[in-house]
Amino acid sequence: MLDLSLRPHPLVSQFESLLAVLNADLPAELATFRRDALNRFSLVGLPTRSDEEFRYLSARTFEDFPSAPAYGATISREQIESTITGGIDSVVVVFVNGEAAPELSSYETLPEGVIVGTLRAALAEGTATGFGTIATLEGKLGSTNDERLVDLNSAYFADGGFIFVPRGLALERPIQIIHVTQADHGTFLVAPRNLIVLEDGAEAKIIESYVGLGGTYASIPVTEVKVGERAHLDWVRVQQESETAIHLSTTAVFQAEASVVRSTVVNFGGLVVRNELNADVRGERTETWLNGVNVGQGEQLIDNHTRLDHAVPNCQSFEVYKSVLDDRSTGVFNGKIFVYEDAQKTDAKQTNQAILLSGQATYNTKPQLEIFADDVKCTHGATVGTLRDDALFYLRSRGIPEKQARALLIYAFAADVLEGVSLPEVRSALEAALFAKLV
Amino acid sequence: MLTIHNLHARVEDKEILRGINLEVKPGEVHAIMGPNGSGKSTLASILAGKPGYEVTEGSITFNGEDLLEMDPETRAAEGVFLAFQYPVEIPGVSNTYFLRTALNQSRKHRGEPELTMPEFTRHIRSKVEMMGLDSSLLSRAVNEGFSGGEKKRNEIFQMAVLEPKLCVLDETDSGLDIDALKVVSAGVNALRNPDRAVIVVTHYQRLLNYIVPDFVHVLMEGRIVRSGDRTLALQLEDEGYGVIEAEVLAAAN
Repeated sequence: MLDLSLRPHPLVSQFESLLAVLNADLPAELATFRRDALNRFSLVGLPTRSDEEFRYLSARTFEDFPSAPAYGATISREQIESTITGGIDSVVVVFVNGEAAPELSSYETLPEGVIVGTLRAALAEGTATGFGTIATLEGKLGSTNDERLVDLNSAYFADGGFIFVPRGLALERPIQIIHVTQADHGTFLVAPRNLIVLEDGAEAKIIESYVGLGGTYASIPVTEVKVGERAHLDWVRVQQESETAIHLSTTAVFQAEASVVRSTVVNFGGLVVRNELNADVRGERTETWLNGVNVGQGEQLIDNHTRLDHAVPNCQSFEVYKSVLDDRSTGVFNGKIFVYEDAQKTDAKQTNQAILLSGQATYNTKPQLEIFADDVKCTHGATVGTLRDDALFYLRSRGIPEKQARALLIYAFAADVLEGVSLPEVRSALEAALFAKLV
Repeated sequence: MLTIHNLHARVEDKEILRGINLEVKPGEVHAIMGPNGSGKSTLASILAGKPGYEVTEGSITFNGEDLLEMDPETRAAEGVFLAFQYPVEIPGVSNTYFLRTALNQSRKHRGEPELTMPEFTRHIRSKVEMMGLDSSLLSRAVNEGFSGGEKKRNEIFQMAVLEPKLCVLDETDSGLDIDALKVVSAGVNALRNPDRAVIVVTHYQRLLNYIVPDFVHVLMEGRIVRSGDRTLALQLEDEGYGVIEAEVLAAAN
């Protein structure tokens, strides 16, 4: 057994030699930022199953974890357009294996003050306000807070989308950040990093997607989202990585007073998938919607960790995660809701449901509510089941063949969550992809 | 149309039907009455092919074919319709999509062309009016959040849309107030025709004031112990099941 404490992991030992390339054209203080992050990471190293937050990931995931830097790949516009949401009429920023792909992106004239582009450009120009300050659990409740993957991303991040919507501006046109990964010449690690900033009173509809076009690789994206006072964000995240890929993501959302965030995450791809979605509610009278649809097949592991920090009074959150698990796939749901001492009148609802289509599929659910205020409404419910026999018979008794009746019920169970997607075009694209996957 | 011969059936180890014989011809309406636990709903479920029942003896022939050999969807396509005592809620599937899929699958099975969306819309519009259905129910999920009356009405509406040959109504009157009962009965009566047979399973004679049967059968402990015309139902209403039960017991001894 290799003892990582004795021999530094390549992720640690190779770092200094890669730093100049990683930080090329970026301000020197970012090199320090990267180095500090790497140092924090090196103290804990890659997770193991004895780390509470990662207990459902197999030991092999981290034993074989790639550390080689990503290389380039040639991707056509048609390939982008054939992805689940690639055909949606929107402003598109594309990244291939972590690098910006302007030839695949569709920059267009946007209202004054709106920036849609790459994070590297924003960091170089000094417009990336809030970068590195949102994805942190510093000073927050929780006894198992674990930020090593964010640190690893901060050390190694390549590029990603930057979206800035100025004060009071409602951006009608949807914006899409697409991260495409293709590993034809051996395995690698890619660390996408996105930053989304909505100033006070701004509105935006954003689609973030991760698409694998083959090969074995690990992606460790981090997305930071800052939502100003009274701002509205509609956010959809689509994960369709390659069949053998590892996808370990962190999304951190900061919400100021009276802001509204509606999120829907969809997980269809990847072999080992773990998403952490943290919403830090720091202003009163906010609404936070966290919805998720997951489909596990083959040997897939789909692990969703969500976290709501209700730090102030009078906020509402609604969370619905559903999973359909077939073959030998595994689903995990861990839903943390922290209600801080001051956060009176918090109204938090959490539901997660799974359907197991095979005897070998498993689902692990752990609602985790930690409430320190005394005048709150917090509910949670979890169900794990198979298809309802009575519903199946009802459909068949009306003439719908069994196979089709099953597919219809599974689809209906999962598609229910997509009702929350506000853009009709996006909703239809996701429904079509879900239907194709299940039927 | 339907011949049930010496039908025995059980659920797990419990024998529920102990030799049912019944002949139903096109155009006829048969009422099957009986006390709770007599096997009425079991008979209705077996006709529709609900899993969980084991037929240990006897046969059911439907238009010359062995009904027991068919799976539920085939029975539906061949023209058997069960109006459920407890219609099932199916969140996420709209009533319209459900009905169109059901109708087209049955048509496909029968070698008929599928209905296009405009054809289907025309087909259901008249049925909606006939059932006095609130058309907003069509776009809602199947039975989800429907009141008891709306669910039963939706069952008969589905029956109207699918145009079966044999309609089996399983305690359709249960949980209905008198107004809903009238609407549902009117719907069933509108569907009566010389080619279509109806089996009404009910505990009470009340429904039979509105859907007037040609024959009434009394089911007790898994057997039809008495058959007659509609006056038998009225007699049951007056005397209760106890009198017949006593007579049957006396005859057996």
